[in-house]
Amino acid sequence: MMEALLNTELTQYHQRLHAKMAAFAGFEMPIQYTTVKEEVCSVRSGVGVFDVSHMGEFFIEGNDAVALADYLVTNDIKGAGEGRAIYSPLCREDGTVVDDLIVYKLRKDKVLLCVNAGNMQKDWQHIQRIKNATTFSAQIYDRSSDYSLLAIQGPKAVEALTMAGVLGTSDEMEFSYYSVREVKFDGVDLIVARTGYTGEDGFEVFCDHRTVVKLWERLMAQGVTPCGLAARDILRLEVCYPLYGHELSDELTPFDSGLKWTVKFHDRNFVGKEVLQQVVPRFQIIRLSLQGGIPRQGHPVEIMRSTEGGVDVVGQVTSGTLSPTINKGIALALVEKSKIEIFNSKNGGKHTQYSIIIRDKRHLVDYHDKAFITGGHK
Amino acid sequence: MTKILEHLKYTKDHEWVSIDGGHYTMGISDYAQSALGDIVFVELPPVGTKLIKGKTLGVVESIKSVSDVYAPLSGEVVAINSEVTSTPEFCNSDPYAAWMIKVKITGDASEASALLDHKSYREICS
Repeated sequence: MMEALLNTELTQYHQRLHAKMAAFAGFEMPIQYTTVKEEVCSVRSGVGVFDVSHMGEFFIEGNDAVALADYLVTNDIKGAGEGRAIYSPLCREDGTVVDDLIVYKLRKDKVLLCVNAGNMQKDWQHIQRIKNATTFSAQIYDRSSDYSLLAIQGPKAVEALTMAGVLGTSDEMEFSYYSVREVKFDGVDLIVARTGYTGEDGFEVFCDHRTVVKLWERLMAQGVTPCGLAARDILRLEVCYPLYGHELSDELTPFDSGLKWTVKFHDRNFVGKEVLQQVVPRFQIIRLSLQGGIPRQGHPVEIMRSTEGGVDVVGQVTSGTLSPTINKGIALALVEKSKIEIFNSKNGGKHTQYSIIIRDKRHLVDYHDKAFITGGHK
Repeated sequence: MTKILEHLKYTKDHEWVSIDGGHYTMGISDYAQSALGDIVFVELPPVGTKLIKGKTLGVVESIKSVSDVYAPLSGEVVAINSEVTSTPEFCNSDPYAAWMIKVKITGDASEASALLDHKSYREICS
C-alpha cells in the first residue's frame, strides 16, 4: 500500500502559488514555481527562499554532546569553536558513508545535526547503535517533526532577513559564513545559520511551524523569489556540491566522493577511522561539460587512450543537467581512479579527452579542474 | 487552461498530428510542454529515418527531465524543423507552431483512425 505523503507547514502556500509538487523522501515538496531558470537566476543575483522542512533535525544534548558528535563524524567537531557549523560525512566502521550532514555546534552541551530527509531513519538507527556501544554522557533527540526549515539564499539574503526582522542591522558583520546562532524573532527562539547548498551567501533558519508561516509571508511580501527543489539541485551541481544518492552512497567512502578535506585524523577518534587510514580510494569524482547535449545520471563516461587510440569506459555520470548559468550541459561523474590514472600518466599527467555516451551517441566533453561556477559566498 | 486545437489529431502520449494527404506534421501538445516546464533540448531523427507508430522518434528535455517523443504514425521523415532544435523554448511559447518533423505516411489507414480527436484528447488532459 502507498503511504500517504507528508506535508510541510507550507504545502498549502506552495499550492496557492501553483508550484509543481512531487514526492520527495516521503514528503510532497515544491519542485518549481515559475521556471527553473528564473529561480536559479534569482539565487545567483538576488535572493530566493526554499522550503526544506523535509530535512531532519537531531539534537545531541548533555555534557558529552560535542564529544559524541565528534566521535560520530569524520570532520573535526571538537576543534571547532562554539557557534560554528561543520559539514561532514557520517561513516560506518568500514568507512562507507551513511549520510552527509551539517553539524551545528550551538553550545558546549548542545549540538544540532541536520540530515538528509531520505536518510533520516537510517541515520537515526546508525547513531543510536553507535551511541549505545559507547559511554558518552549525552542524549539524542529526533526533533524533525517539530522543526520547519527555510533556506534563504543569494547575495541579497542579508538584506531580506534584516528586513524580515530575523537579523539585526549590526549582526551581519560578525555573522561569518558557516556560523550559527540562536536568536529571538518576535519573542520566539530561532536557530539561524549562515549555511546553504547553493554556493551563494545565505542562511538557513530552523523554527517552529507557526513561525515558519510568518517568516514565509514576510519574505513573500518583500518579493523574495520562492524556489523549488529543482533549482536547488541545479545550484548545488553548478558549484559541484555532492548529493547523497548521486556522488555519495552506502558503497563509497568519503575519499571516493572527493571529500578528503572532511576527514580529519589528527588527535581524535571517530567511527571508521581505522579503515579510512588505510583504505585506497577506488573512485574519484570528476567535472565535465559539453555543448549540444545534456548528460544525465547513469550515462557512461569514457576516456580516450591517448597513445593506442580507442576508448575505455571508466565510470558514469552521477549528476547531470543543463546549467542555466553557463548554458552548457554539466556533469559530475564517478570514475575508476586506477583506470584514469593509467591514461593520464601516458598523457604527461594531463587529463586526456573524456567523452559521455548520451543515448548511444558519443559526445566529447571538457574536463574541469574547478567547479563550473564559483558562488558568491563569503 | 490547456490549449487544444480543434482541427488537429492527438495521441495519448501528448503529440499533436496534422494530416495532409500522404504526409503528416507533428509536435508536442500544450499539455506536454506545460508538464515538462522549460524545454532546453530537442533531439529529432534525421531526414530519411523510418518511423514505426508508437516507437520513440526523439527526445525533449527540460532542465530536470528527459521525455521520449513517440511516432504517432508509421512513415519516413522528410523534413525536420531546425528552429525547434536551435531554439527549444519555441515548444513552450507556441507548441502548435513548433512543428518537429514532417513525415511521409507509409502505414495503413487504420493507424490514423486510432488517433484521438480534440474532444477525446481533452478528456485525457482533464
